[in-house]
Amino acid sequence: MSYVLSFLILLPLVGSAVTYALSSLGTGRKTASYLAAAFACATLLVAGYAFWSVYSSTPSLGQYALMEDHPWISLQGFGVDILLGTDGLSAPLLLVSAILAVLSILSSRSLISKREPAFYSLLLFVEASIMGAFTSLNLVVFYLFWELTLIPMFFLIGIWGGDRRRYAALKFIIFTFAGSAVMLLGFLSLYIGTSPSTFDIPNLVGKIPAGLQYLPLLAVFVGLAVELPIFPLHSWQPDAYEQAPAPVNVLLSGILPKFAGYGVIRIAIGLFPQASFQYAWAFIIVAIVSMFYGAIVALLTSDLKRMFAYTSISHMGFVLFGAFASVASGNPLGIEGAIFLMFTHALAVGALFTLSGFVESQSGTRKIPLLGGMGQRAPLTAALLAASSCAAMGIPPFASFLAELMVISGGISAYVSTAVTILVPVITGAYFLWMLKRVIIDPAPPGAATAGASKDISRADATIVALYLVPLVLLTAFSFLVLSPAAPVAQWTTSLVQGGLHG
Amino acid sequence: MAYYILFAVAALAVAALGTPFLQFFGKRGNLAGYLLIATLTVALASIALNALAGPGGSSPFGTLLASDSLGNLFAILTLFVTLFVAVGSLTLVPSSTESNSPFYYSLLSFAALGMLLLSYSTDLLMLFVAWELMSIPTYALAGFQKHREESNEAAVKYAVLGALSSAIILYAISLTYGLTGTTGIAAAATSLGSQLTNPVAGIAVLLFIVGFGFKMSIVPFHMWAPDAYEGAPTPIAALFAAATKKAGFVASIRVVLAISTVYALTPQGGLFTIPNVLAVLALATMTLGNLAALTQKSMTRLLAYSSIAQAGYILIGFVIYSYGQGNAAFSQQAQLGMTGALFHIINHSVMKGAAFLGAGLVILKLGSGTVEAFDGLGKRMPVTALAMAVSFLSLAGVPPLSGFWSKLLLFTSVLNGPYAWLAVAGVLNSALSVGYYGWVIKRMYMDEPDGDASPMQEPLSFVLILGVLVALIVAFGIFPGPIISFAQNAVPALAGH
Repeated sequence: MSYVLSFLILLPLVGSAVTYALSSLGTGRKTASYLAAAFACATLLVAGYAFWSVYSSTPSLGQYALMEDHPWISLQGFGVDILLGTDGLSAPLLLVSAILAVLSILSSRSLISKREPAFYSLLLFVEASIMGAFTSLNLVVFYLFWELTLIPMFFLIGIWGGDRRRYAALKFIIFTFAGSAVMLLGFLSLYIGTSPSTFDIPNLVGKIPAGLQYLPLLAVFVGLAVELPIFPLHSWQPDAYEQAPAPVNVLLSGILPKFAGYGVIRIAIGLFPQASFQYAWAFIIVAIVSMFYGAIVALLTSDLKRMFAYTSISHMGFVLFGAFASVASGNPLGIEGAIFLMFTHALAVGALFTLSGFVESQSGTRKIPLLGGMGQRAPLTAALLAASSCAAMGIPPFASFLAELMVISGGISAYVSTAVTILVPVITGAYFLWMLKRVIIDPAPPGAATAGASKDISRADATIVALYLVPLVLLTAFSFLVLSPAAPVAQWTTSLVQGGLHG
Repeated sequence: MAYYILFAVAALAVAALGTPFLQFFGKRGNLAGYLLIATLTVALASIALNALAGPGGSSPFGTLLASDSLGNLFAILTLFVTLFVAVGSLTLVPSSTESNSPFYYSLLSFAALGMLLLSYSTDLLMLFVAWELMSIPTYALAGFQKHREESNEAAVKYAVLGALSSAIILYAISLTYGLTGTTGIAAAATSLGSQLTNPVAGIAVLLFIVGFGFKMSIVPFHMWAPDAYEGAPTPIAALFAAATKKAGFVASIRVVLAISTVYALTPQGGLFTIPNVLAVLALATMTLGNLAALTQKSMTRLLAYSSIAQAGYILIGFVIYSYGQGNAAFSQQAQLGMTGALFHIINHSVMKGAAFLGAGLVILKLGSGTVEAFDGLGKRMPVTALAMAVSFLSLAGVPPLSGFWSKLLLFTSVLNGPYAWLAVAGVLNSALSVGYYGWVIKRMYMDEPDGDASPMQEPLSFVLILGVLVALIVAFGIFPGPIISFAQNAVPALAGH
């Protein structure tokens, strides 16, 4: 048994404790950020190794790499194992999470200026939980790590956030906790309903009788939909994204929704293939509504961060759409696209939110109409904003366009009528370009007194934002890095649906 | 060996009868408290030895007491809580009622003695005597701060309703004796089996549920609890929530669930069965408790309602256990449910002990028990705030804290069968409870206090007891195996299996 994945979880966890302990001793304000960055970089190396093990020898269908099994609770009539493993679905997500954690910690150095030890410690704690959630193959352990990201997030939003941070934090925790509690109910009913009872995903696949799939799927989907988020369960999200400090946003918007995307593919479709197939049309409708809703509301929003939040709703709709398109059509392209989109979206949205933090600290506002004249005032910031927007819009050379293309073609192979979703990237392009016009090209509004005083983004900070964008450009050429491990998972998940129908 | 129990009883009796003499010798300070702490430690150790020695050997008590694992669990739990209450009282109580502190600790000792005996009672009369031995001192303890009006009100309200519940229990006992001719619980339960058609038997069971329900503070018999918890000295509120409430549970397990064997085994079924009655009570208790807690402005009242809600979760285990008595197909779920209930009873004592003792310290230091007083507590009293936050997260059921696992067992146990809706209600209630637990945590860590924001000194004894309780919450959460096994061993054998 290898211990790579336990190490991957424990490293940031230990880092969290060490960072807090050492930097609380009063060794200077910057100690915390150096320590945290060191631990995050080390975690990135381990995550890179985990990704490489999956990439270099892709596990055969339905198998996982780096499996670990640690018995935790074994009682008469009840058992939970810490079962860890990774495959082409989770390995890219582990990698992108580790990248985002490093960049988020680096960007915090100029954006966070109070109670640093606690801040970095919580951030590393979130990273540890993220690694745990993506690697655990036991439903209870998955739920546990999922919850363990919410609690530190609650504090990160509520202590370091904007003016309405307390309200946003409380709303965030109530919504997400309620959603995940309902999801847990679905997990528990699986345990009771299968024989022999187990929470281990590899042992549950294909073992759940069709009759037991419907209500658990509904319960699990409610939990995933809150996290994703999907209209109409999204109401916590714009508030939380708007109020969270920018470095926290990177993980909050870049990774947490991926739990749900991951859950849709691994749990909703993987464990309930028959029920998913039967109601694929309903999920596709929900996804399309969410895609349009997010895009249209983003068009009407004047706050930069809120706009990015709604973009995120729209993009995560794509993930749901792609996944269920594959279920309906039997063509794995949709799931492949969804995995790829999760990877690219994490980087694009990470760049956007980091930039929004810098824009706010320069100009003192995030209101789009007040930000005018950035092209002259802060040309480097403007250039980065334009580039990140292109990444989010899905314009080549950023790999996001490839992902969206895959999802939409996957959708069309399920239902031709879903070709209407091609309008979503069009609307997305429209509001991003309109935002860029107002912020960069338009002259500074007369009321913006602070405009003249503002400075451009520093070289170091610009590098951080660029580091989000570089992998996106490279992925256009080297898309096989993510797609070649993802393809077998997509194929296998799709074959589960088809096999369940014929078997 | 049952002689360990005898030793614990003797030790507590000596402490209970002896400490008042300290008053006559002018030792009015904390000496009595230290003596009681020593006595409780000795009693706890001897019960632990009894638990290690294994069940059986009830020779000195005849059929009145049985030295079994269930009794050990509740005896250890109640003595442990009393010990922490005694330590907390050293700081919290004498300041206002210094002159009578020997009597305070004597009363506490009597209550501990009552709970100890109650844990092992297997005879209705023994159970009633132990019940009263536990209850009567707590009426006096609730009103111990005799110059505070709220304390007096709490004592009167609690005493009147407590006396009423005792009378109801006594009536139920007399009906049972009239029908069966015995006060032995096992014999009475078997004998009731032959008289199922007699409605008086049903009335007797219902009266037991009502009588014990007052102490367990299940809806609609919970009315006294918020007032009594708020008015009583805070350590005594901790005693109510974490110890005497649990005595109500052990009495119900011993009596109501034993009799439910008889009812669940009836072939005619019908709606009016013990599991159905308990299921309705469970739903009402958790829902009303959580809804009321959402609207509270006083911390002790909020904790009182949260405590009511938690009783509702515990009842879920009772429901499936009494249902499983008659249905062999559900025996495994019944075992699991009762394991979850016992585990949650343990957890709730630890979590509420931490919450009430923390709240008590805040009330003492800041002179206010309103929720606003907790604003910014994270900076003013970091240890207390951390202890309360951990206990609140655990009460809400956040993994990997202890409360998560016990709720998980409880909800899992009912998901198959006719009570699946209770699991749904339980999960929705847990989500609802985040509304007030999260709200208090938000106040402690995110809000700024109005006016004075200076840090407060936290006494070492409190840092110690809160530290131990928090360590237990975390340890039971990360290594739940041994403690769940302990609870599982204490589950009484199902009838007919």
